[in-house]
Amino acid sequence: MRKAKIFTVAIIAVIVSFFAQSTVAYYSAFGMAENVITSGNISFKIHEKTDKGTDFPRDGITVHPGDVVSKIVSIENVCKHPFYVRVKLVYGSESNLVSAEGCFKPNVDTENWIYHDGWYYYKGVVEPGATTPNVFTKVEMVSSVLSDAHRGKTLTLTVVAHAVQSENNPVSGTSTYTASGWPEE
Amino acid sequence: MMKKVLLIAATAILLVISMALPVFATNGQVIYFGNAGKFVFAPGSYYSLTDLFPDLKGVMPGDSITQKITVYNDSANDIKVKIYLRSHGGDELSERFLSQLRMRVKKSSDNSMEYMFDAAANEPAQLGDWVCLGTLYSGGEVYLDVILDVPVELDNSYANNIGRINWEFKVEEFPVDDTDPSPGTGDGNFGIWLGCGMAVSLIIFIIFLVKRRKDDEDEYTPKAKA
Repeated sequence: MRKAKIFTVAIIAVIVSFFAQSTVAYYSAFGMAENVITSGNISFKIHEKTDKGTDFPRDGITVHPGDVVSKIVSIENVCKHPFYVRVKLVYGSESNLVSAEGCFKPNVDTENWIYHDGWYYYKGVVEPGATTPNVFTKVEMVSSVLSDAHRGKTLTLTVVAHAVQSENNPVSGTSTYTASGWPEE
Repeated sequence: MMKKVLLIAATAILLVISMALPVFATNGQVIYFGNAGKFVFAPGSYYSLTDLFPDLKGVMPGDSITQKITVYNDSANDIKVKIYLRSHGGDELSERFLSQLRMRVKKSSDNSMEYMFDAAANEPAQLGDWVCLGTLYSGGEVYLDVILDVPVELDNSYANNIGRINWEFKVEEFPVDDTDPSPGTGDGNFGIWLGCGMAVSLIIFIIFLVKRRKDDEDEYTPKAKA
């Protein structure tokens, strides 16, 4: 009989503790999330090829007055954002004795590129992974400008390009030169 | 050990769900697993395993982007939880970048609710103290909208920047009581039924004891002879 009483009390204790656990339980837990915001960028690659499909020689080539040199220039979008792009052709001479001004005559594609204030602006948007139409494909060495003074001298034609995002930066029609954010020269 | 197994299983299920429902793939997800007493944050990113901002990558000047976040309570049916959020703000290295960005946070299900956060992204601001997101029953969800505005004037020096914002979540578990709406059926009711069963068994056992005692008394009571 005594055993039965103990058993009864034990069962009551179990039940009471069960309900107590149900009604009094109060747990808390914590968790930390590290959230990251990153800013994008604009990046592009200038391609300078020849009509043979090879890269234009970095060390340059020897030319004569009247020569027409194959130099095919285009811009590739290598980022995740579309952009507007502009190109400037900078002529230079490594000698103080001669000027490169007027010596080069590139056949710029004015159908796709519009000249404005010293720059050629591509009229459209360059989407990620896309490449612009060629800025020019040939450069004529102007015989009427080149003289004996240029013999043995090094003249340079440098292609400079700028790009600015087209997202959140609308322009009217093909007037891409009116876009906001073009870098100061 | 059991907790680890539960956590791994939960993460695996989450990954499968994420793959099966690509439309929700970019939502941030906060899941509280009551059985394990743990939070799981998804989807994470290259930068942080607990990243809730998958849509806020590569932001550009002029962008205004909304990141949706779902907070979900995966606890037993007899448990309800209060979920809180607070922000520790941006880390020191992120301050210059994040201070340029405006961030707003609100519960998307409640359009009338004011923003619980509206400040520069590097600041804890209104989320410096715990803010209760709501009381969630098993399977309950609350939805957050995080709106990020990037000023169009942001210059090139802010390109390729990284900003880290630490958010802390807290839950308080409470038992579901009579005043709560019915949580529905499921494994979570097992305990209640078990308790009721034990109570009924006890009553039957006591009745049995009383009856047996009475029988014993009857057996040993001397009977009067006629």
